[in-house]
This record gives sequence, C-alpha cells and structure tokens, in this order.
Amino acid sequence: MQTRLTRIGLILAGAGVLAALVVVFRFGSSGPSPAPELRRGGQIVASLRSEPRSFNRLVSRDYATEVVTLLTQGRLARINRATFELEPWLAEGWESSADGRTHTLRLRPGVTWSDGTPFTSADVLFSLQAVYDPKAQSVLTSTLVVGGQPIKAIAPDAQTVVLTYAAPSGPGLRLLDNLPILPKHKLEAALMSGSFAAAWNSTTPPAEIVGTGPFVLREYQPGQRLVLERNPRYWRRAADDGALPYLDRIVLEIVPEQNAELLRLQAGELDLTSSELRPEDYVPVREAEKQGRLRLIELGVGPDADAFWFCLKPEVKAKDPRFKYVQRPEFRKAISHAVDREAFAETVFLGAAVPVWGPITPGNLQWFWADVPRYPHNDQEAQSLLATLNLHDRDERDGETVVADLDGVEMRFTVLTQRGISWYERGTAVLRDELAKIGIVLDIVPLEVGALIQRLLACDYDAIYFRPMATDLDPAGNLDFWLSSGSAHFWNIGQKTPAADWERRIDTLMLEQAAALDPARRRQEFNLVQQIFAENLPALYFTAPRLYYAHSARLRGVVPSVQRPPVLWSADTLSVTN
Amino acid sequence: MTAFVARRLLFAVALVFVVSSATLLLTRLAPGDVTAELGPFAAPAEVAAARARLGLDRGPVEQWALWIARVGRFDFGDSFLYNRPVRDLVGRATANTAILAVVALLAATAFGIPLGIVSGSRRGTAATVIRAVSLVCLSVPPLLTSLLLVFLAATTRWLPAGGMTSVDALDGRWSTWLADLATHLPLPALALALPIAATFERLQAQSMAEALQQPFVTAAAARGVAPREIVLRHAWRVSLRPICGVYGIAIGTLLSGSFVVEFVTAWPGLGRLMYEALRARDIYLVAGCAAMGGWVLAAGMMVGDLLLAAADPRLREQGRG
Repeated sequence: MQTRLTRIGLILAGAGVLAALVVVFRFGSSGPSPAPELRRGGQIVASLRSEPRSFNRLVSRDYATEVVTLLTQGRLARINRATFELEPWLAEGWESSADGRTHTLRLRPGVTWSDGTPFTSADVLFSLQAVYDPKAQSVLTSTLVVGGQPIKAIAPDAQTVVLTYAAPSGPGLRLLDNLPILPKHKLEAALMSGSFAAAWNSTTPPAEIVGTGPFVLREYQPGQRLVLERNPRYWRRAADDGALPYLDRIVLEIVPEQNAELLRLQAGELDLTSSELRPEDYVPVREAEKQGRLRLIELGVGPDADAFWFCLKPEVKAKDPRFKYVQRPEFRKAISHAVDREAFAETVFLGAAVPVWGPITPGNLQWFWADVPRYPHNDQEAQSLLATLNLHDRDERDGETVVADLDGVEMRFTVLTQRGISWYERGTAVLRDELAKIGIVLDIVPLEVGALIQRLLACDYDAIYFRPMATDLDPAGNLDFWLSSGSAHFWNIGQKTPAADWERRIDTLMLEQAAALDPARRRQEFNLVQQIFAENLPALYFTAPRLYYAHSARLRGVVPSVQRPPVLWSADTLSVTN
Repeated sequence: MTAFVARRLLFAVALVFVVSSATLLLTRLAPGDVTAELGPFAAPAEVAAARARLGLDRGPVEQWALWIARVGRFDFGDSFLYNRPVRDLVGRATANTAILAVVALLAATAFGIPLGIVSGSRRGTAATVIRAVSLVCLSVPPLLTSLLLVFLAATTRWLPAGGMTSVDALDGRWSTWLADLATHLPLPALALALPIAATFERLQAQSMAEALQQPFVTAAAARGVAPREIVLRHAWRVSLRPICGVYGIAIGTLLSGSFVVEFVTAWPGLGRLMYEALRARDIYLVAGCAAMGGWVLAAGMMVGDLLLAAADPRLREQGRG
C-alpha cells in the first residue's frame, strides 16, 4: 500500500516537474478581472479538495468547514480580505472606551436567521458561551482570549452587546472576525446537553443548519458535493439597493486530485478551484485564458513563506556535538549568505517568487518592514562566518567537501520535508546544492505530513524545510509563533522560560505590542521584533511565492485575496454572465 | 456445495479479521497520527482531546481489543476525518465502488475474452495488434490511464471529466439520475477495466492456444467439424478454466486499482475513501475499509470458484465425490 502511495506521489511530482521543465517562462498576469457586469441568478461550481468535517466552525478548523462557514454564517465584524480593513457586519457600528477594553456594539436591525427567527444579542452571547464552554471543545477558544482571560459579554437589550476585555488589545475588535455567530435557538440544547461538539455534523439535515450568511445549505452528497442556495433573508444589499447575493446557487464539488481539478476547470466543469495555482499550472491556464475560457489573476505575494530551521531545543540537542554550532547565530547567518535568493525563486517557483528575509512577507501589507536586516548572497562571507566558529574545510571525500571543527565534527545534517509537494522537493534540492558550496552537507528525507509533524513536535530532527501557515496577519493574533512559550514557536516549542536573551526581548515586545492601542507604537515595536528575529535567525526564509489564481471567464464581481479562499470570501457579490 | 460455501464463509471471516486487525495495528504503529489534520501547531489540549476521543492515548493492543469488541456489535467506530460512523461511510462508498466495479468487470470480460479468443486462435496482423495493445494496457499504471482519460474528456467534452453525477441531475427524476450516472461511468470504468481486459486477453489467448493443441481438437477436426465451431464450442470451454481462476484476483485488482482511479476521477467509492483514510491515518476508517475490502475479495474468490466449477465438469465431479 505504502509503495503504491509512494509511487503515485513520485509520478505526480515527476509530472509536475516535467511540466515545469518543458516550458521556461516568466510569470506575468493579465491583470484584474474586467469591470463587473453584475446580473442576478445563475449558479457557479467551485471545488473543494476534501469534505467538511463539521458544519460548526466552532469545533472544526478544517478548510472545507471554513469555506462553508464563510458562505452560510455571519460575524459581528469582518476583516475585508482584500483591504485588510475591519468592516461592520452583523454589528452595524460600535464605540470603544478610551482604554480599549470595553466595546459597545449595535447590532444591525431587521436581520433574521435563514429560517426567519430574528437575530438578537442573545445569539452573540450564546456563541461566546459556546466558545468558552469546555464541554463544547471549541477550537476557537485560544483565538478569543485577551490578557489570558475570556471576553466578557453582556446584552443590555436585544440590539446591543457590550464586550469587555480583561486587558487592552491591539487588534481590538478584529478578533471578532474569528467568531461566526451561531443560532441559539438551534444549538442551545446541544450545548446544554454536552453534545455541542457533535452537533451540526455531516449527518445533520440541511434544514437544521441555519445562518445569517448569503447562502444556506440545501444538500450534502458525501463524497460528491455540497449544494448551497441563496439565502432569501440575507441582510446585505447591493449598491443599487437590490438584494444580495446575486447568485442563486453555489455548488462545491469534492475534487480530491489537483491535476484533475485543473483539467475540470479548463473543461468548463468548474468555475473556481479551491486554491491558487501551482507554478507548473501557469502555462496551461495561460493558454486557456488566450482562448477566452479562463481568467488569470495575480493575487499578489503570499503572506506565508517556506522556512528552513534547525531544532534549537537545548534539552534535546545538548549532547549533539553539532548543536554548539547550530545554536550560534553566526552559523545560521552563514547559511543565509550562502543562498542566492534570486536563483532560488527562479528554480523553485519558476520565477514566481520574491526574496524575503523574515517571516513577514511583502504580502502582509500592514506589517511588512522593508528595512529588515538582510544577508546578501556571498559565499566568501558565509565561509568567513564559519571560520569564526573554527569550522574549516576537511579533505574532499566522495566528491564533496564538508566543513568540520578541530575534533572532526562534520557539519552534515538531515533535512526533513513534506513528501509530494513539488516546491518543497525543489527547494530542499536547491538548498542542498547552495550549502554544499560552503561545506555544509544536507541529506534530504521527504516524509508524510503526519510523520513530519510528529518528528517536529518531538524535536526529533536536525532541520526541517516546511511552510508554517500564520494563523493571522496581525502579529498579535500570531502570538503562538512569536512567544517562546507558543505552540507554533517551531524551532523550540513551548519553552517554560525563554532559552535565550533575544527570545526574552521578543516576548516582552510582543506582549507590549499586542496590548498597545496606538497603531504607530505597535508598528514600531513590531519592527524591532523583526529586527531581533533577523539578527538571530531562528528560522531562515528565502522566498515568498507570488500567488496566481484562475477562474472561469463568465465569473464577475471577483474581489481576489491572497488569503484563502481567494474568491469565495466575498461570494455575496459574485455573479455570472449567463 | 453447502460444505464448500461454509468453508468459504469461514475463510472470509478469517480473512476479514486478519486484514482489518493487521491494517488497524500497522496504521497505528506507523509514524504520525490523524491529529496531524488539526495542523502542525494545534493547541496541545485540542490534540490531546482528539487522541483521547479516538483511543490513541491507549496502547495499540488495547485499542485493537476495544475495537474488535465494538466490531462484534457492528460498530466500526467513528471517522475523525469525516466525523461520522465508519459503517455509514463504508456502506455508501462500497455501493458506489460496486457500481463501478461491476461495469468495469463486465467491460473487461466483454473486451478481453473475445479478443483473447481471436489472438489465441489466429495468427496474423489482427493477433499481433491485439497483443501489442494488451501489453500497453498492462504496462501503463492506472494513474496515468486515469489522468489521460480525464484529459481527453476535458479536451473533447464528450464525457464529464469526473464525479459520479452532475449538478444538473439534482432536481431530476430517478431516470434522469440514472442517465446522468451512465454518462459518468465510462471514464473511470474504462480506466479500471483496461488492465483487467488486457489480463483476460493474454490469459485467454494463451489458454486457447494450448487448448487447440489438445487431441480432442485434432479429433474434432478429423470428424470434419468447422474450425470456427472447434474454437467456440470445444476449445473455448476448456480454455476458460484459468480465466475463472483469476476472476477472484481480478476483483482484488479492481479494488486496488480503484484507489487511484476513484481519486483522480473524483468517484466517491471505497478506494478513494481508503486512500484518504490512509493518507490521514484515520485509523478506524482504514480498518473499516480494509474489512470491507476483505469481504469483497473473499466474495470475489468464491464467485471465481463457482464459475470454475461451472466451466469445468471435472471439478463438479470432484465436488460430488
């Protein structure tokens, strides 16, 4: 079985690389979608790679559940994924106290659930209660904690909610983008009986799943598709004061295989795919665009970049003789100098990537800092840095030169990466070749994602090449990455006390930054965090991909975003030409 | 006959027990587990809760024993990936795979055996072409065949490029659904059937060539029986034995081939379900799929044996004796 799966993976990877090698190209884009000619009615067919694990976003974090939730549920306030600005949604407005701890929200009048029941402040209180109830096992609890405490909510009347934070919060009400508001009248019994985690699963009749979003679930055919129809009671109006959404129906087809998904898009069986294009998909899509069947859009630079890091957990690695070098910033700076980022972008992403020097990419418009310290490609500088650590070339053996210390400890490492992802495989290969030039030898071991994560969490590895996805573009929503105690502080997860002074400084700055209300101060403190990070390089970043997306030519009203889902996040304003 | 069926049923139960138990234990012992689906940096409490819910916090043997006890009550546990009972998922997927497999097997039989008779009983260009095509079909992995067929469907738009039914059939009647299903079947069925048809053709050709060397063929020819009748009435029946023998194996091949074909063509069957379960290490779903696969394989082998007995009078006589 494993052999068969391995073979499939190799063939798919091979096909991808072959397609990439056949045509050498530079990426370009035909620009944004044409001016919308919006029309009411019709349906679109989009794809999902997997099925939703639940229809209750509070208990499931998978991508399919997130997409269905975006289409069927509303939030009090939402972050516009194109502008990253906070917008009133189910709350039509709010006032915040001077200390940033108390927020009074006015709910939009006249909003009803899709079954006709009025939406009130009781639903908001119920949703927050479900988030914090341990029996509900919500996956959103940690994202809605301020100062280590739950958000307190009271409802003076049916149209008003007062939220009180335990401490000032930099993101403020942006946190509410994480919270879909669920119907109390449908789910209260499940919460009371302790069955909330199992409520709204895939066997629940669609009529029971009500929402305030633009669409309602009409039918779920396991393994095949979800059918969503327009919610006739949706509250939002178009610019001409007409009803939204424009579309009558959205069908989410389950298409697990990405090559087949692309072929079905080209054949006109799909209007949208579930994710952005792979670099090797650009050429066939470009051809289809020339024939007028598809539209190709450049989403921009992705907010996440591939990272390369060593396990820096002293209690696990202290006895490893290589650790005393790996833990030195000079060693990691040498690696950063050794990699030609322009060539890396050309080879790994076929030109569709930009050099980066830290975890915050130019795709994160609000928090990217262009002046972050850089380590330009320079092999001599890299070798000089290694020499300061008393690491020098040994005699060449088997055609490779390895640097080693005076005791003969060689700088040879095993790098784990995820199997079957074409750019990981190309990225690790380029890295191996670049580091070989300065005498650092890498052996690449691709693993299934489950095995990779197990090794990562146990720090049972030398180095890893992987793309950890940020949970939030606002750094205050990403504290699990920045804080030394965080579960996503992947080079040394969950430290009881900061292992290094620079980590202690980042901890202090990040907690201050997260609690600060002044945007300028937040930005200044976060720039300093990025500087400290770049000076110590616990993880190395080389390039961030430019993201491209394709959709059918008949689609109108597309507002693309670098965040997933790239188009369906604003499904209520999508329409089709015929 | 009763004793034969009873023996086969006992064999099936043993096969299912061994296959599903081994699959559960091997999946459990492999590195990583299904909580990877929560993402690399899920909160430890969330991961711990998921592991406890799935019994992953227990030892492998203890977990296996608890699972076997539940299976005795026809409860195969819940899938983490789909958040549903494994029994429901496997039942529905098996029905879908059965539709695909029956059509593929019929197509493989309808193409493979007549072509095998032709290539085994004649010489010349036709036989050479058939042999060459068979070798190609045997050599190309189902993944490439599926992708090629999806590509052709997408390019020509003669057939749907994937899925089991269309969105348009949602609001239609039963007959509309059936007609829609019929347009979706050829692509995955062909991808599954081609290597099996080639296997049948090769076996049939070889077996037919051997049968035509038998003395009773010479005797029939000496009696003036027409060559066409010798092939179809006398030699073919004798040559069927190896074909019937591989029918059970063909059903196994259909199952393993369906892993890839169903994945690529988005057919919601048992192969795709098991592929996704294995990829995610969804332990109870993997074991449930393996148990169903074991049943199907055992049933296939029994059908093969019954066909063999029907085709070969000597075996029927042995059975009576």
